[in-house]
Amino acid sequence: MIGYGRRRLARKVLVHLALVPFLAFALFPFFYMAVTSLKTDRELYDRQAVPLLISQGPTIEHYTKLLWETAFLTWTKNSLLVTLISTTVSLVIGTIAAYALARLKFPGVGSFGTGIFVTYLVPTSLLFLPLAQVVNWLGLGDSKWSLVVTYPTFLVPFCTWLLMGYFRTVPKEVEECAMVDGATRLQALIRIVLPIAVPGLVCAALFAFTLSWNEFIYALTFTSSSEEITASVGVTSELIRGDIYYWGSLMAGAVLGSVPIVILYVFFLDYYVSGLTAGAVK
Amino acid sequence: MDCVSRRQFLTTSTAALAGLAVLDRAPALGQAREITYLCWNNFSPGSDKKLAEIGQRFTKDTGIKIRIDHIAHAQQAAKFASEVQSQAGHDLVEMRMHFPWLYEGQLVDVSDLVAELEKKHGAVMSSAKEAAFVKTVWRAAPQYHALFLPNYREDLFKKAGLKVPDTWEDVYTVGKELKKMGHPVGIPISQNYDTISTGSVVLWCYGAMEVDKDGKTVRINSPETAQVVEWYKKVFRDCMEPEVLSWNDASNNQTMQAGKSGWIHNPVSTYIVAKRKKLVTADGINHSRSLTGPAGRHEVDVPRSIGIWKFSKNVEPAKEWIRYLLGKREVYNEYIISGEAFNLPVFANLQDHPVLKTDPKYATLKGEGVHYHIYGWPAPPSDRVQLITNSFILPNMLAKAVTGTPTKEAIAWAEGEMKKIMAG
Amino acid sequence: MAVGQLGVARAVRLPLRARVRELLDREQLLGPLFVTPALLLLVLLVAYPFAMAIYFALSNAFIGRPSEFVGLRNFIALWQSDAFRQTFQNAFVFTGSAVAAKVVLGTALALLLNEQLWFKRMIRGSVLLPWVIPTALSTLGWWWMFEPLYSVVNWTGTALGLIDPPGPNWLGQKYYAMMAVVTVNVWRGLPFFAITILAGLVAIPRDLYEAAAADGAGAVARFWYITLPLLRPVLAIVVLFSTIFTFSDFNIVYVLTRGGPINSTHLFATLARQIGLESGRIGEGAAISLYLFPVLVFVVWAQLRFVRRQAY
Repeated sequence: MIGYGRRRLARKVLVHLALVPFLAFALFPFFYMAVTSLKTDRELYDRQAVPLLISQGPTIEHYTKLLWETAFLTWTKNSLLVTLISTTVSLVIGTIAAYALARLKFPGVGSFGTGIFVTYLVPTSLLFLPLAQVVNWLGLGDSKWSLVVTYPTFLVPFCTWLLMGYFRTVPKEVEECAMVDGATRLQALIRIVLPIAVPGLVCAALFAFTLSWNEFIYALTFTSSSEEITASVGVTSELIRGDIYYWGSLMAGAVLGSVPIVILYVFFLDYYVSGLTAGAVK
Repeated sequence: MDCVSRRQFLTTSTAALAGLAVLDRAPALGQAREITYLCWNNFSPGSDKKLAEIGQRFTKDTGIKIRIDHIAHAQQAAKFASEVQSQAGHDLVEMRMHFPWLYEGQLVDVSDLVAELEKKHGAVMSSAKEAAFVKTVWRAAPQYHALFLPNYREDLFKKAGLKVPDTWEDVYTVGKELKKMGHPVGIPISQNYDTISTGSVVLWCYGAMEVDKDGKTVRINSPETAQVVEWYKKVFRDCMEPEVLSWNDASNNQTMQAGKSGWIHNPVSTYIVAKRKKLVTADGINHSRSLTGPAGRHEVDVPRSIGIWKFSKNVEPAKEWIRYLLGKREVYNEYIISGEAFNLPVFANLQDHPVLKTDPKYATLKGEGVHYHIYGWPAPPSDRVQLITNSFILPNMLAKAVTGTPTKEAIAWAEGEMKKIMAG
Repeated sequence: MAVGQLGVARAVRLPLRARVRELLDREQLLGPLFVTPALLLLVLLVAYPFAMAIYFALSNAFIGRPSEFVGLRNFIALWQSDAFRQTFQNAFVFTGSAVAAKVVLGTALALLLNEQLWFKRMIRGSVLLPWVIPTALSTLGWWWMFEPLYSVVNWTGTALGLIDPPGPNWLGQKYYAMMAVVTVNVWRGLPFFAITILAGLVAIPRDLYEAAAADGAGAVARFWYITLPLLRPVLAIVVLFSTIFTFSDFNIVYVLTRGGPINSTHLFATLARQIGLESGRIGEGAAISLYLFPVLVFVVWAQLRFVRRQAY
């Protein structure tokens, strides 16, 4: 009994040790960005200073500049609105499409799947030009709603395909059992398949969320006025002026644009993933 | 049940979406006298604020509403392309350098307007004309310009008793000393636009060029270019550090602001930012007159101009705005001054501008006796000449040469690439 | 009377509902029904831009000017260009090495994250962070880290005794520059791999492992014969996505090197922008972006078949 506990402890320590390089790789740049955002301009431009420390006293001037001298809060609100709606819509559309493509047999299923995905192969760096025309035909020029409408064009294929993979991992027999017990296919989907696939759903939601949170080229070209643009576009255009970079505030933008979301994720992800691990094992 | 509620949610949210979209759109319909203007984020944030204020006065004086949007200069190409493709967007756009040539067919002829401006303020300077006067007509109204010039650390020069360079050869002479002092020269040799800005000037001062005046004949393969390449090689070896191979447009100013570079070629932004951020180097930075060479004193210039899209439904009110901003002397002066010497007037009679007296270090910005040009000169900035510029052939020729490719081979490579573009 | 009417209505409705229910149970009907919203969205919004994009690639389109159909001329002409051939090669080196690194590191990280952890939330959140920082800003941060003047990468490397000062000129030398952009891509993409694979791992029934362990299978064997096969559908899709994302990556190279030094890090997207947007030649720009389109369509089709076959 004790030996077994020891072995488990040793394994746990080992796992943590193995995680260290991964964490360092993931966090070091972020740490550096955060440090940069708290340094005074004078220290930022001091090449003798130790880059990883704040030696001349931390300052929040870059944050105050970002928050009060630019429309950062409006931009963030726009980003959130666009991201939340487009993610939700895409997830719903993607879930049912994925289920159909992964599980159901119907004529043309292969071409449907490929068709949904093929649009993905035309890089947005090009697609935005004719798409701008469509946006205008819809009368959505210079409106954040143009983004709500267009983001699903890349989120739906993404969610569909990702979820297809997860639906595949749900053993078919589980669903068939339920149907033998008299459940309809819809009921089986909602009561059996979706709960098992929740980690996948959370995953798809999470990545769809960040894909649209980080989207740049559509936001740049479809919206213009300060009340409509998203955070990525606003921050970069306000804080990069020709060959002048406002490093402190740019990095403050990176911090403010990521930390709240990570916290949200951690709660959601943890809640669902751990909750479900138990459920799936049974 | 779950399914129904989900579907209900979907339909309601779609409906709500459509409704909101319509709401958002409503104002766009009844606007006979509202114009929109897309400009870049000025180097000087104060200038953007001033512009907004001028916009409000314009509305008060003329009854025409104006909305001014800003965009980073790196994003202009994408934004303009999408506005042209969808034939919708802003009425007026602020353009940089040779953009009026690229969008020639999409811009309203503003020759009459420029004639008015010239009558008031004198002739438009050569570089601004090269940029906005397309073939036979003005496709945009010249607004202001930002020139390059030598930036140097006056304090270091004084301490070491160095002579402020007047020729590119002088740069090599003092550069050797500067590097020994730990303050190397900083001329970028990488895929960025500052490399083209400096490289073109050295070409011109030595009498070399990329493409001839006819806009067709590639002339890069010449003894003069060989001289330029040799100059770059020795400066790279004796006056600079390999860091310049990796630089972007911000690197040379940051390196000077940080107290490393002793001499760079850049607009005044280096000094102004150092001053604004109260950096220790601010007091030591000064500017000197543009350099000369065997073929005269040339300098690269970045003129900006305001164009009106042909698809605009408000061409007349848009012209009214240009008249107001650029034609009214007091408004134009105010606007120029708000740019802290980043923006300089492009008209002959205004060259001796009060903004140059706001700081003794701006005195040299007057640029007397200097020939200003835009990229590609003496060739007119046709599509192909612009493609040569944007393909970074000149920077890559220099980069190859300083990293070991023989001069002749590097030049021959550049000639081949340029000829391919001219033939294509 | 009223009651009677209601009763009739109910009598009619019940079979109707049952009928709908029964219809929805038919795969031939439910399938297309479920796929319709996605398809509708894409047809309404993307069909036109998609067709235009392909037309651009086959025409001499120039921004704001009338264009003509030129067939495959752009594709042929591009192959003559040094810069394009270099880009083509870069794209494969970049995508190949970045995706390979992400698969291996991502699977390893997912396996680690699936273990019992002390600070589970904090660790998972940290791992996720690179993906969440707005790309437009995180790439700027990386530029600031590689830039020679303040290069914190070299500073740290020197401080730890890993490199000799002044350290490599990351963005100014061919191979280092490629290494730098690949590193940033791996940094940014790793969370996607780790977390999606983790979600796949979590779904694998634990009793399978217990059974295998009881049969005397070692850790390696369990990974090889249980984990990997069951992960395959998820892995296949993650790799497909990542390959496409990585092929069309733009921001990292645009911010870090603008394709330099001497075009050695140019990717399809950055070259397409240089030619298609900055120089107005949409036709050529489109041809660059779509050069691999036929190949990718085939890969997607094959992948779909593979995924559908897997579980049957």
